[in-house]
Amino acid sequence: MTASDETATTEEMIVCRDVHKWFGSFHALKGVSTTITRGEVVVVFGPSGSGKSTFIRTINRLEEHQRGDIIVDGIELSNDVRNIEAIRSEVGMVFQSFNLFPHLTVLDNIMLAPLKVRKWPKDQAEEVAMSLLERVGIPEQAVKFPGELSGGQQQRVAIARALAMQPKIMLFDEPTSALDPEMIKEVLDAMRELAESGMTMIVVTHEMGFAREVSNRMIMFDEGVIVEEGTPHDIFNNPQQERTKLFLSQII
Amino acid sequence: MMTDNGDITTASVIAPPRSEVGVIGWLRTNLFSTWYDTTMTVISLVVVVWLMWFGLTWAFGDAEWRVIGTLGGQFIIGQFNTESACPGQNCFWRPQVGLLLATIVLGMAWGVAGGGTAKKVALAVAVVAAVMSLIPYSFERMGMDVRILLVANIPAVFLGLAITRYTPWREVKHVAIVGVASFLLTLFLLRGVEGLPGMHPVSVIHWGGLMLNVLLAVAGIVLSLPIGIGLALGRRSQLPVVKLLCVAFIEIFRGVPLITLLFMSQVLVPLAFPENFPQNSLFRAAVVITLFSSAYMAENIRGGLQALHPGQAEAARALGLSGWQITFLISLPQAIRNVIPAIVGQFIALFKDTSLVYIIGMLDVVEIGRAFIQGNPEYLPSARELFIFLAIVFWIFTYGMSYVSRRVEDHLRVGTR
Repeated sequence: MTASDETATTEEMIVCRDVHKWFGSFHALKGVSTTITRGEVVVVFGPSGSGKSTFIRTINRLEEHQRGDIIVDGIELSNDVRNIEAIRSEVGMVFQSFNLFPHLTVLDNIMLAPLKVRKWPKDQAEEVAMSLLERVGIPEQAVKFPGELSGGQQQRVAIARALAMQPKIMLFDEPTSALDPEMIKEVLDAMRELAESGMTMIVVTHEMGFAREVSNRMIMFDEGVIVEEGTPHDIFNNPQQERTKLFLSQII
Repeated sequence: MMTDNGDITTASVIAPPRSEVGVIGWLRTNLFSTWYDTTMTVISLVVVVWLMWFGLTWAFGDAEWRVIGTLGGQFIIGQFNTESACPGQNCFWRPQVGLLLATIVLGMAWGVAGGGTAKKVALAVAVVAAVMSLIPYSFERMGMDVRILLVANIPAVFLGLAITRYTPWREVKHVAIVGVASFLLTLFLLRGVEGLPGMHPVSVIHWGGLMLNVLLAVAGIVLSLPIGIGLALGRRSQLPVVKLLCVAFIEIFRGVPLITLLFMSQVLVPLAFPENFPQNSLFRAAVVITLFSSAYMAENIRGGLQALHPGQAEAARALGLSGWQITFLISLPQAIRNVIPAIVGQFIALFKDTSLVYIIGMLDVVEIGRAFIQGNPEYLPSARELFIFLAIVFWIFTYGMSYVSRRVEDHLRVGTR
């Protein structure tokens, strides 16, 4: 409902062509091809072990793909370290287990990368960090340590930390799977707000409510391949593939 | 929300049973909860009282503590101020100025830390030093100047404190700079200069006593931590040659007894340095003790690095931090904090191991006592008092380290995990 009108500017942010990934002899991604345009919100879903996490982790090179091409915002992912660093500073990532740095305060967690990677002056970094904390609704937690926060608050800090680098793309790897039920909403609300602001997002999640309301496109993964993709309306009301129907019937 | 309000108020009004609170409650739950608890409590109490009675009557009755007074200042500086080391001059002031420099540094640490443990340590050291000036019989040739320099440790602490209050030197790095400079200046003072009055060169074979233990321990502690960090990182390196070298270093230094290494140092360390490089037995011992300790330190730190969740480095990489930035900003700070007990354990072991330099003919505080008893058989019955005294001296130092480390841990525990 929100980003759909912006997809009119069909600018390609992420292009994947026949991406293959092996872990040892295990073939995790078996030729994944898709294109994600600016401002699109894509939900990736599928059974566990289907390769959906591996797929989004190849986009910022946390996992190396062995065959095929991945082009992020016009930069091709290769073994060139400068390309990898350039892409990483444009792609923010939020993890299932938050991965905040426990020895730094919330504010220092958010300021770290802007200070050390972007080389911003301290007051600028602090200003941006505080405004991001306000955006995710927890400015009062700035001087606390991550261990003193609830899971939902920690995940919102993680979102703010990723946004501090002013990324063009945000990757979410099961951001609500480690949360207690009553904290899922606050994180989804932050993500929803982000989607409404026009951010390009790829979200691995089982939150079908979020997928239905926020995403422009859903991609179903199974056994390392894209089984089916389409608008939430089509996926929920008219799935074409048996595997999609079966999976949806199991989780809804 | 789930429970209704009536239940909550009632529950909070009822006082806990008497057995759960107060002295009686504590005694009942911890010492007399069952019949065997009671038996163990009574037996332990009898043993403790008997040991204390025996210990105290011996310490204040039969024990002959004169040997401590006779050795006096030798415990602290060894043979440094004897006629053979420093002929015709009083060289006692040189180690004393070293101590004054140390208390100034402690005073600065107090100022930088803003009180707390640093304050307690600084004041304790200064007060103990000052109180020594009141001991009537100890320290042969102990004149008024010696006593004044000892008392001066108290103003020295406040001088250090004042430096951090009234000058721009008020950060941790400044304490470190002043600390290293003081250490080097102390070494220079102890060594002496040819031809300067009062600065007669004193060969390191005459350096001894607690001063020797502390010098070796400080050098070892300050250097083994960074070397250990380097070895731990090297052992985890992707570069096969670096990794191999670090593994070989660690396994060799860990696999050979320190005594053997000390013996070998006299022969092998000279090979590692240019021929005209100034070196002596003290230098060689310091090198070996430091490297030996570094090998253990490396494994402690590697343990801390292994324990880190891989998601930490992953999140840092996703933010675009470089490998070095991840190591020094994310991994090491957490790894070191997690293994502080092991690191301090290694520091304590290192301090105690400094006694082993007796093997290469140096007179540390233990050897001073042992050699004295051996040379003066009439003191043989006092060996018990002597070694009990030495045990207490070591214990005070090691307990001090363990106390400081616990406070540092408490301080760092703020909001972890």
